[in-house]
Amino acid sequence: MNAIALAEFRILARNRLVAGCAILFPCAIGAAFFLTRDTHAGGGSVAGVQVVAMAAMGTYVTATTTLATRRQTLYLKRMRGAAIRDRTIIAGLVTPLIAVNLAQIAIVLGILASTGTPANPALLIAAIAIAEAMFTGLALGTAGFTASPEQAQYTTMPIFFTATATAIWVQAPGVDDLTVLKRALPGGASTELIMAAWNGGGLSNLPLLLTPSLMWAALGVLAARAFFRWEPRR
Amino acid sequence: MRETTHETVIEAQDVSFTYQPKRGATKGAYTAVRGLGLTVRRGELYALLGTNGAGKTTTLEVLEGHRVPTSGRVSVLNGDPCDRRRVRPRMGIMLQDSGLAAELTVRESVALAGAVSGRHDEVDAVLDRVGLTAKKRTRVAQLSGGEKRRVDFAMAVWGTPELVFLDEPTTGLDPASRGALWAVVDDLRASGTTFLLTTHYLEEAEKHADRVGLMHAGALHREGTVADLTANSVTTIRFVPPGAVDDIPVPVSGTENGLAVIRTRTAQRDVTTLMAWAGAHGHELARFSVHESGLDEVFRALGSERTTV
Repeated sequence: MNAIALAEFRILARNRLVAGCAILFPCAIGAAFFLTRDTHAGGGSVAGVQVVAMAAMGTYVTATTTLATRRQTLYLKRMRGAAIRDRTIIAGLVTPLIAVNLAQIAIVLGILASTGTPANPALLIAAIAIAEAMFTGLALGTAGFTASPEQAQYTTMPIFFTATATAIWVQAPGVDDLTVLKRALPGGASTELIMAAWNGGGLSNLPLLLTPSLMWAALGVLAARAFFRWEPRR
Repeated sequence: MRETTHETVIEAQDVSFTYQPKRGATKGAYTAVRGLGLTVRRGELYALLGTNGAGKTTTLEVLEGHRVPTSGRVSVLNGDPCDRRRVRPRMGIMLQDSGLAAELTVRESVALAGAVSGRHDEVDAVLDRVGLTAKKRTRVAQLSGGEKRRVDFAMAVWGTPELVFLDEPTTGLDPASRGALWAVVDDLRASGTTFLLTTHYLEEAEKHADRVGLMHAGALHREGTVADLTANSVTTIRFVPPGAVDDIPVPVSGTENGLAVIRTRTAQRDVTTLMAWAGAHGHELARFSVHESGLDEVFRALGSERTTV
């Protein structure tokens, strides 16, 4: 896996378009939410939106696009002819993207922490990890329906916008109804979990907040198992 | 020294492969390979020839484990070609389309392929072997088509596998590069590597293959050594007739550009008769030539035979 991941880091660094999408865009999103935050609200609100929106762009959209590109150029087919498992190939391809995204999130949350530190850092780390798992699983599933990197520009939009909009909806003040729906939508439970980790409070809702994210991740993996292809259709 | 044994390295029994249509496609399923039986022995170089769309690449991809046959049975190195622990590390694959990452350098690409191959080798030694040392820091995006094929070849022969699949290995290569590639193949064969390849260059198959299989429309129509396949083929004798064509002592098939043309399956006897006749009458047979039919004519005959059925 290390060799594939190293190659992927190099490709990421040398391809300006991919680097822009994977590095600059998520940072810009994180910065925009930071600069427009409600300074009277707790840091958890903006942290939740930042993490979900950045992971949606940096991990979900980028991983979907990367998998579609590697399939289209027959890179996946070549790798699949080697002496390594399918899951090793996938892990090698997405791990660098997740690592870059985590570094971005760490920087953005580090800046946010300068205005007030999170109450429960361990839960915050767990919440970020679960968000990354969810978006990785969804990327694998979406890649099954995405024939080319160009197609990824619109196949990823429904989940990207739903997750980002849900994150904004969850932390918006004065909209406390439809809690079940908010938690069920991708990104909703993750946002609430990050808010709880940052602002502090009871953990009685923890199972309710973990389950939807893990279910989305599992759904993505199941979709990938059913629909993921290793080479373009003839 | 090339040595083949009776040990079977590749065995395909009654293999068929059908491409399923895309979702919403108007065209139906397409059977690219039908009822194929093939055996390749250890140390052998087996060349699969055929017209465009004959099913050569699909056959190779089934044998490589890239595709699961729709029906039939495949055994490679006494196992399943998809077996990534026991079988894959022992075989090298050169695909028809490269699948290289444009952003990586030649050295990085070959090193990556080596790292996932399950075999050990030295990247610089492999690059030297295929003549890519001078290009090792060049990104794949900047390579010519022929150079990319050499990168593909380097990846396939990394670590001297027991079995190598080459899908049109010399397409896009200049004559010198083709010669260099075949020199590496010869070296590997000397160390016991088995090759199964497809090519459109019949002269390469004639020169290097132990056995040749001729495919058309998804089926293997003929198989054997080049000598077997060309055994009953026609030899063409041409010369400027010294007088009337009717005086020539063997049947003349026709004339072309002022040359008498004799197509025969008994070339030695006819040449002897012609020489004796020319000597006895003091004739000089100007522009005399004898051309033995090779695989190209067998190949053409196969194509026309099948298309006229």
